[in-house]
Parts: sequence; C-alpha cells; structure tokens
Amino acid sequence: MAPAPATARRSASPRSGEAEERCYRLAPGCQVRAERFGLLFYDLSGPRLLFAETGDLLPASLLRAGGSPGQALRGRTAAERRRTAQLLDLLVRKGFLHEQPVR
Amino acid sequence: MSNRFVDAGLSAPVNLTWEVTLACNLRCRHCLSSSGRPAVGELDTAEALQAVEQLHGAGVFQVNFGGGEPFLRPDFEEILSACHDRGLVTCISTNGTLLDQARVRRLSRSRLVAIQVSLDGARRETCDAIRGEGTFAEALHALRLLASSPIPTSINTVLTGPNAAEIPDLHRLAGSLGVSLRVSRFRPSGRGAVDWEALRPTASQLLAFSAWLSTEAGVRTGDSFFSLTSQERQGLGLNLCGAAKLTCCLGPRGDLYPCAFLQRREFRAGSLRRRSFAEIWRESPVFESFRSLRIHSCESCQRFDQCHGGCPAVAYHLGRGVGGGDPECLMECVTTLGGPAPRPAVQEPTP
Repeated sequence: MAPAPATARRSASPRSGEAEERCYRLAPGCQVRAERFGLLFYDLSGPRLLFAETGDLLPASLLRAGGSPGQALRGRTAAERRRTAQLLDLLVRKGFLHEQPVR
Repeated sequence: MSNRFVDAGLSAPVNLTWEVTLACNLRCRHCLSSSGRPAVGELDTAEALQAVEQLHGAGVFQVNFGGGEPFLRPDFEEILSACHDRGLVTCISTNGTLLDQARVRRLSRSRLVAIQVSLDGARRETCDAIRGEGTFAEALHALRLLASSPIPTSINTVLTGPNAAEIPDLHRLAGSLGVSLRVSRFRPSGRGAVDWEALRPTASQLLAFSAWLSTEAGVRTGDSFFSLTSQERQGLGLNLCGAAKLTCCLGPRGDLYPCAFLQRREFRAGSLRRRSFAEIWRESPVFESFRSLRIHSCESCQRFDQCHGGCPAVAYHLGRGVGGGDPECLMECVTTLGGPAPRPAVQEPTP
C-alpha cells in the first residue's frame, strides 16, 4: 500500500495524543540541527531560518530520520507533551515538517 | 531587535563563505580580494575535501563559494560534489566566463546548488568599465544558459557610484531573463580600496537605493546593507553583522576569518591545517571578540535596533576600527550629505 500523502497544513492545533500518533519528517530542502535553545531549521528555498525553542523535547535525529515523537516523549509531563504538539504543529504550518498518520 | 538565540552563540555557522582560490581571469576594479593569481599554498584537493567533511560534521547548512573565480580550480566540481553528497547546500559566485552548456548540465544534476553571476551594470559600457572588456556579454550569455536550467540563478551586482542609477534597469533585466537580482555592498577591501573614491556610491545614491529597495521586496541584499534591511529580515532579528555568529569565511589556504572582507592577519581565527573547524569556531579568541563586539558609538542612535552599528569591515577599512560604527550608515548619509567622505586606511598586504 502506498504511504498516505504528507499533509503540509492542519486546520487546528493537535492535542498531544494526536501528535504522538503522527509521523513527522523534514520537508524537502529542509535541514535541522540541535542548538542549546532547541532546534535550528534551515530551508534552502528562500533560504529561510527558524529558531525553534524546543529545549530537549525533540531530538533533531528523529526529524531527520522521520518518525513519531511518541517514543521521545515517554516519561514527559502532560504540559511538555502539549508543548511538543504545539511546536510540531507550528513547524508543519511553517513548512519545515511534513506529517502523516502513523497508521 | 536582536536575535537572542544568535546572541547566545550557535554551535556552527549557518553558512560559510569559501574563497576556494584567488585565481581569476578578470581584474575587476572593486574586487574585495584583489584576485588574479592563485594564492601561494592554496588547499589541495585532499585538503579541500577534508574541509568539506569538517563543515558537514560541524552542522554547517550552506557553503557559498567565491574567490577568485571558483571554476578556475580544476577540482572545483569535485569539491561541489562532495558538498552535495553530504547534503550541504551550495551557492557559487562566478563571473560566468567559464560556464558552458555541458557544465550547466552537470551542475543541474544537483538540486543543492544556486549560482550568482556578477554583472555590474545594465549597460555594457558601465559593466565593462568596472569588470573589463567583454564581461557584460559573457555574463549575459552565462545567465541565459542558467536561466534555461533548473538552477536557481541570480545577478549579483555590487552597488557603486557608476551603476547606482542602473539598478532598476538591472532588476528589469533580471526579470526578463527569469532570474533574480541581488545587490551587494561595495566595501573598501582589496582592489576596492584602491578605487574606493572613484567607485563608492555617494550618500544621495545610497539614500536613493534605500528608498527604491524598500519598494522592491523581491530584490535581495544578501549581506550587510544594515541600514537597508527589509522588514522581513528585521522581523527575524538578523539585521546584524553575522560575522563569527551566523557565518564566517574560509580562505584559499585554509585559514578562517570572521568574514570575507576581513581576511587579514589580525583577524585570522585559525587554520584548518592545524586545528579542526569545530575547535576554531568554538574557541578562537578572534571569533569570540566579534561575538562580543558592541558598537557603543551607535547605541544612542534611534536606528540602532535596525542596524546594530552596521558593518565592522567597512568601519575597519575606513580607519575606524571594527567597533567604530559604519561610516556609511544611512543616518550618517543624512547628516553628512555633501560632507567630506571617509577614506580607506592604509592597507597591509593580505597575508
């Protein structure tokens, strides 16, 4: 079965549980690296930069490889999970990430 | 506003300017590095490929190749390929004379390359007077080749007195070719110092350019027209000198500098022949001094938040020192319009 098409936009912020059931990966032309404040995104179209104050919530390697944040968020508080969901949603809306349902 | 994340220090530059050779087949009057003959002891192929590996390992996103004319290096495409194989985005600044259909086709295979072709006037006479006889036609030929390829292409124009009035025409020319326009700042470095008085834009030309630029969102300045930055750049808080914070320069012999316009012994941060890129970026006292540089003389200015004191390289070359404040800031243009112009300081030979 062909993978579900990636969606670039969402109409409303996802709840943390929803975000953890989705796969996220870098959009074509985008790169990411870890910084003290969190993640620094670069998009060659532009080029554009985005300074994402994610702290240690999201590993850059997860987004480079593509995957669900569920594993990385295990043991996190509800507030941290909610914050992560908001950040992922923002990154999708800004075009740095693509998302698709895990299932 | 400033960018607090940048102020706090990044683990690596976002991009890096790499002057891969000083060899050049042209002798442009404003050349920042007085290019012509290759420098003694330029990095060989193995060293250059090692440098690529280090830049990638450090997390650099983009490498901007310049010189000299990069395509004069026989191994330049090999260096490019090494970048692209690692996902490093590249931008090549070229005079266009060595581009042909076959080379453009080869370069097109990577989606990670952009090319800037230098063109310093919308009229042949203007461009050729700055860059040399026949350069206008050759650059146009290269631009047409590139425009028919998928490579993102721009005209790169250094704003000078002789071409200032032609910038809108250059923008139209770029549009007719299907490429974009990037206008760079003329700095009194290299041969640019020798011809500074003859080529520098006047205060009124700078002001006129600023006014025009504010109406042309599609035109990029790309470097420190600090007083002329668009609202978009200001919104990101990147309207500051990025030297040693967001960017740095790798010289042809493997030496690192805060920026391409400060390739002088006193600003040498270290050599890739002796230390790793990551070490130099993290520990160099030269880089640290730029990160903590404050232009105190400008802090009381109402525009300080928009320019943070401007370009330290211009201030340095005009004898103010890197912390002396940019003599060409728009506020000074307004207050000194018609007044005496600053002159470049005596130049020491480039090491």
